[in-house]
Amino acid sequence: MDVPVQEVIRPATIAEALAALAEREDARPIAGGTDLMVQLRDGRRRAGRLVDLGRLGLAGIRRTRDAIEVGAATTMDAIAASAEIKRSFPALASAARQVGAWPIQCRATLGGNLANGSPAADTAPPLLIAEASVTIASAAGTRRLRVADLFLGPGRTALTPGELVTSVRLPLDEPAPGERVVERFTKVGPRREQVISVVSLAGRAVIRPDGTFALVRLAFGSVAPVPVRALTAERALAGRRPDAAARRDAARAVQDDIAPIDDVRAPARYRRIAAAVLLDRFLQEAARG
Amino acid sequence: MADRITITLTLNGERRSFETAPGRRLLDLVRDDAGLVGAKEGCGAGECGACTVLLDGAPVASCLVLAASADGHEVVTVEGLGRAGALHPFQETLVTHGGVQCGFCTPGIAVTGAAVLARGGDAADHARLLAGNLCRCTGYAKVVEALDDAAAKEAADAPA
Ligand SMILES: Cc1cc2nc3c(=O)[nH]c(=O)nc-3n(C[C@H](O)[C@H](O)[C@H](O)COP(=O)(O)OP(=O)(O)OC[C@H]3O[C@@H](n4cnc5c(N)ncnc54)[C@H](O)[C@@H]3O)c2cc1C
Ligand code: FES
Ligand code: FES
Repeated sequence: MDVPVQEVIRPATIAEALAALAEREDARPIAGGTDLMVQLRDGRRRAGRLVDLGRLGLAGIRRTRDAIEVGAATTMDAIAASAEIKRSFPALASAARQVGAWPIQCRATLGGNLANGSPAADTAPPLLIAEASVTIASAAGTRRLRVADLFLGPGRTALTPGELVTSVRLPLDEPAPGERVVERFTKVGPRREQVISVVSLAGRAVIRPDGTFALVRLAFGSVAPVPVRALTAERALAGRRPDAAARRDAARAVQDDIAPIDDVRAPARYRRIAAAVLLDRFLQEAARG
Repeated sequence: MADRITITLTLNGERRSFETAPGRRLLDLVRDDAGLVGAKEGCGAGECGACTVLLDGAPVASCLVLAASADGHEVVTVEGLGRAGALHPFQETLVTHGGVQCGFCTPGIAVTGAAVLARGGDAADHARLLAGNLCRCTGYAKVVEALDDAAAKEAADAPA
């Protein structure tokens, strides 16, 4: 069945796309369509005009002096396959490889994953621990926003109508000599592929030669109205070794960072336990290297 | 009533134009406008893979692709993969390994597997790459074996 829209515009430039979005209040961008097509069909979102982003040249990964820039229309498949991303942001590569299954990964874009605003968006925790930001363009100009400030609530973001995410910037953060980096993304769901996360965790630990944390960053998906950094748990671990006592403290602290709900996929109590388990596993891996 | 739009794409190697609704899904374009009924609608929500086609060589759930997004691109359905008497190597091994039962999932599985072979890579990934194609009949083992076998045959045939 056709999705209920009156027109589709396929602009060739960003300026044309922004004009096409500004012209009609009910205009909406479409990238891979893997979220939007079903939402339009079910009436959960509406659009009179769809503005297709496919011709704007927004796909691609490029390294600048101090960051990696990922175009908003880059697919999960391209992100997961990128040597640059695998080397510097392995949690993001791993998350992209766990979005849906392969045919979804070949269409689903990074910009769409963020703009859709789901608390379960799998790329969000890896971007939060990378302290990434998005570049946003509109007819009024461009602005930069931290991914941490992008998500406002389930299905709600700080993007206003007429705004386009054009790219995501991940600052490179090289460890000092002798330090080792452990970075992981893990998610819990009823099967390995094609599942929306019940709980997900991205963790980055930089460990000094003496075994203490030089840095530890943690972020969760699906345990609050938005993807969240676990700052209380991070503080509980700062400067320590990931030994049993530190892991116990972190498991307790993390409960203050999250606010899960009961829903069709899992009860809140399960999410609290699973979050602690994922965190403990990550810290054990950090201890082992 | 919404205006109609023109979509021009390469479908199974042939350049074709369609006058259709702006909200057309690629799945309906292929089935209703082009009359190619190999790709099936199972869930209509991206979860089952019965509607999988290749878009510029990559497998996609055509129930989630806006047909207008495929304008100017290349689409291959199971009808373009092989013909009776001249099957694609993966279609051959699906038959010899008993990887087809009721057949509802088969067009999607065939094109996904063809994309796996075209990309090359590690046989250890085969099951993961096929995980978006649900099958109620075969239990998957024979489908994965068929893909492993097709990949092995391709490697053996390749010039050293
Ligand atoms: C079967 C299935 C399994 C899935 N599994 C997962 C999963 O495991 N993990 C996960 O995180 N997600 C999953 N998803 C959801 C979805 O695939 C992702 O969120 C995907 O990244 C969305 O990207 P898209 O390009 O398809 O977005 P679209 O559907 O095209 O767009 C989504 C929203 O973002 C807006 N938008 C798109 N691009 C931009 C832009 N550049 N600027 C501004 N707004 C924009 C659109 O207007 C729309 O509101 C799954 C979906 C399906 C169907
Ligand atoms: S019909 Fe498209 S994935 Fe099920
Ligand atoms: S053969 Fe029947 S669904 Fe796969």
